[in-house]
Amino acid sequence: MEKSLFDKYGGFSAVSKIVLSLYDRLLDDDDVGPFFDDVDMPKLIDHQTKFVSSLMGGPASFTDDHIARAHRGMTIEDHHFDRLKVMVAETLSDFDLTQDDITTILDGFEKRRPLLTENPDVN
Amino acid sequence: MSIEAINEQLLRAIGVGVALISLDKLTVDYRNDTFNEWFGDNESASKLTDFFPSLDLDQLSTAMKEGGQLTTETSFKLRRRKMTVAMEFNRTTDVNENIAVLVCQNITRIKELESMIDSYSMMVERNTHEIKREKEQVEKLLLNMMPRAAYEEYKTFGVVSPRVFDPVSVLSLDFVGFDTLLARNEPGVVVSELNDIYSAFDRIGAQFGCQRIRTNGDSYVAVSGVPDPNDDHALAVANSALRFLRYLERRNATHPIQWHARIGLAAGSVIGSVVGAQNYIYDVFGSTVSEALHYRSVAQPMTVAASETFTQRFEGKFQASAVSEDVSGQSARQYMLVQEASDQERKG
Repeated sequence: MEKSLFDKYGGFSAVSKIVLSLYDRLLDDDDVGPFFDDVDMPKLIDHQTKFVSSLMGGPASFTDDHIARAHRGMTIEDHHFDRLKVMVAETLSDFDLTQDDITTILDGFEKRRPLLTENPDVN
Repeated sequence: MSIEAINEQLLRAIGVGVALISLDKLTVDYRNDTFNEWFGDNESASKLTDFFPSLDLDQLSTAMKEGGQLTTETSFKLRRRKMTVAMEFNRTTDVNENIAVLVCQNITRIKELESMIDSYSMMVERNTHEIKREKEQVEKLLLNMMPRAAYEEYKTFGVVSPRVFDPVSVLSLDFVGFDTLLARNEPGVVVSELNDIYSAFDRIGAQFGCQRIRTNGDSYVAVSGVPDPNDDHALAVANSALRFLRYLERRNATHPIQWHARIGLAAGSVIGSVVGAQNYIYDVFGSTVSEALHYRSVAQPMTVAASETFTQRFEGKFQASAVSEDVSGQSARQYMLVQEASDQERKG
């Protein structure tokens, strides 16, 4: 079985640093940051931990349904998603992931774009 | 630069919030830059409660009087970030002035890390739980395919080496006219009934110390004495055999499809092993198995057949009667188990 990126880059000990770094970036960012204004810290950290871990094939796995539900009610525009992608890419390259691996992760992320940006009519 | 000035510069520069508290007036008389950065540098604010509205002043004054020390925490939002600061009040030893030094350490990162570890350990726990559940399912499946002892061996060594089990008894059963049954009825119905019957056989067998080894279409093979030795192995298969037939009789009385089994029994040794690398299955082999198959093939419908040697084992527990000369020549006489002797005594 192919080794997951999670294992390749050192498991939770590496991922934890990525999570905190991404968390700092998100909160300091004026485009994406406001989405987290009213989110409690433990909840946000929990979300980020699962998010990064699932991006890298770690123990968390989100169903698309779960992702859609978690972002329901947020007006996430394409430019927010683009900005987030940039921040994810910057964070990952800070931790010396290879360009190929970053591309793989971002591709997986991009596939989920409609789950966040599309707001289905709730009848 | 004087020592005082250097001290003040140092105090300002360190990443720890420092303030001097007048315990009589409950005011903040001095604070360094870090303190101001966290709690605001509003010049007019001087009351302790202006900075820490939730601080329990009674608790503070009691602690200052008693031990001279109080440790607590406070949380606030700085931009979007929830900051957590650990506060430690220490009353000074200066007898002239009733003041305390407040030292504030930023423990936000520690709190964030704690949250992350909580979140991660929950993920891992859930995964572990799922893996455990999957493992149990696999184990259950494998235990259906082989005895527990063989499974344990398989789990430890990855293989199950062939083993001789001696003495054991083998029960072999099939149904008379199974092909006709299949042709005349809906195959799905026949298979579903077969499933019911085999499940009932498994239950009856387990009751008497018999374990099903394999089924192949309408053929059912069970043993007693594999893998755990059983002194009463012959009795176990004989008991099971008669109850299989009794079960079928009762079932036939109320069901449209009639099942007529014939059963062969034999005692001796068998070799038990897992066969196949991919589609492995636990099986037993040997002349005892062949003998049971042979007696099954010559048994009349709804009877149990065995050799004379086999039937002699029961010392009156079962009635056995010689029914015919065996034309195949493999054995001189064929014996049929009729019923338990005790049964007849009870009835008599």
